[in-house]
Amino acid sequence: MSEVIVPQKGEGFVAGVKRDRQGKEKPMSMSRGNAPQQGGAYTTMFEGFRDELDEHHDRRMRIGKVSRDVTALSKKIIFSLQRVRKLSQPIPTHIQKDIDQRLQEIATQLKEIEPDVQGMNRYRYPLICLEEFVEGVSFAHYLRHQTLMTPAQAQDALLPVNIHLTAPDYVFGIFDLTGEMMRFATAVTALSGSMPTGQKNLEDDADKSGADDDQGGQRSILTDMQDVSSMLHICPTVGKPGTYAKKLSIMIEQVRKVELVGYGVTVRGNERPKGWIPDLSEAAGGDGEDTAMT
Amino acid sequence: MAASNPPNMIDPSIIEYLKAHGEEEIQVGDKLHQITATLNRHISTCQGLLTRIHSTPSSKLAPLLKQVEETGIKPEIESVGELSEFASNYPYYKYNHRWTRSVQNVVSTILLTAWLGGMGTESRPGELGRLLTIEEVGEIVKVPVNLKDRDAFHISIEEYLLALTDISEELSRLAMNSVTMGDIALTVRVSGFVKDLFAGFQLLNLKNDIVRKRVDAVKYHVKKVEDVIYDLSLRNLIPRQTE
Repeated sequence: MSEVIVPQKGEGFVAGVKRDRQGKEKPMSMSRGNAPQQGGAYTTMFEGFRDELDEHHDRRMRIGKVSRDVTALSKKIIFSLQRVRKLSQPIPTHIQKDIDQRLQEIATQLKEIEPDVQGMNRYRYPLICLEEFVEGVSFAHYLRHQTLMTPAQAQDALLPVNIHLTAPDYVFGIFDLTGEMMRFATAVTALSGSMPTGQKNLEDDADKSGADDDQGGQRSILTDMQDVSSMLHICPTVGKPGTYAKKLSIMIEQVRKVELVGYGVTVRGNERPKGWIPDLSEAAGGDGEDTAMT
Repeated sequence: MAASNPPNMIDPSIIEYLKAHGEEEIQVGDKLHQITATLNRHISTCQGLLTRIHSTPSSKLAPLLKQVEETGIKPEIESVGELSEFASNYPYYKYNHRWTRSVQNVVSTILLTAWLGGMGTESRPGELGRLLTIEEVGEIVKVPVNLKDRDAFHISIEEYLLALTDISEELSRLAMNSVTMGDIALTVRVSGFVKDLFAGFQLLNLKNDIVRKRVDAVKYHVKKVEDVIYDLSLRNLIPRQTE
């Protein structure tokens, strides 16, 4: 007597497989082959497609889930960074520690889907979280060095995760960065009474010549934003043109808001007592600029 | 602007990076536009010729299909070849949306022609009711199908499945018109095929995407053919299969 075969999970519910009384699969030719004109003539073919599509949908789900988590973690990094108050200085230890921990969590998450987005599949599934990631790490980079993070540096920040960072990931991340710069500029200006500007002594930019700013050779966050905005205006678009155009117009709006802030402190900034805070609290992270957040 | 200061906000390499990527996208986009425009013209010709199946009696179908193959499908295949060669230089899924609809149309014209008895080869003559597999379509078009091990142009499963929904629609229309033309046997044949396709589609676990939407329509094709068959059987017009 042959033993009864219990269908294994995963194959048990495959429809269209005929089994004999012991539960063994009957050969396809017996059940289907003789009657190609009957219903189910293409069962085998469609079952093959089903397996392929299931694999695809499962992969998409895994990626989507990780992408959401990484987005949330990136947002937390950004919130932590918005508590920084000084430009082009090392980030305070407690904030840095917080960020390092989140970055580690991000790496762990992304490692899980690393095989799912290799090669051809990199462009197959949306991985929006990488934009958020670039936004986070480039904001940290900006606060530390007061320069724009390069694509290569952003790719390195992903290490040890081996996922290719595409040009749209980078550029759209940088578009979002200007939103964070705007919030930072507004908050710090409100608190300190002047536009955030690089700290001369703490960076290795002693060889700086050509003072062309009103801040004695140091660039202010406003000119930095204007620079980024011009660059993204000049360069050809990457990624979906609609998305690019939309993000570009949001960025221009943000730059204008900071220009207004800059004008405000220049004209009447000194009239305000130092430390005077408009209705803008640190926890809320700013007012009237939520258009920047997505 | 502060861009002239030595420690600039923006490293020149960033601008180079953006320019290089942006320009590549523009160039690839232009070339793809040009290739797909030609391809779409061939597709229109082919689909146009194929609309004549609805007014061509079975006895005169063979020359029509020959014409479809020569002046419709052959140029299509040439265009797809050009597309394949060019597109394989770039990530498949980055640009795939530019041509997926066209490829799907090419596949459906080939499937329909073959089902009606065209696309015969010396080793395998054409035969009414023959559904080409995705692999067979790939051989005809001379491009890979369902590639997974490398990033190059190919015909995807989704494209093939969507093409199947196209021919189920076209054949459900033919089922009616072949009655008008007096070929009831063909209607019966279509009925069996469309039902088989529907049964096949029901095996898929579809998510809420374009495939789902189009497959949902197949049941209406089945219904349309069923109604025709009902009308015929009511009047005893369907020839007995056992005869």
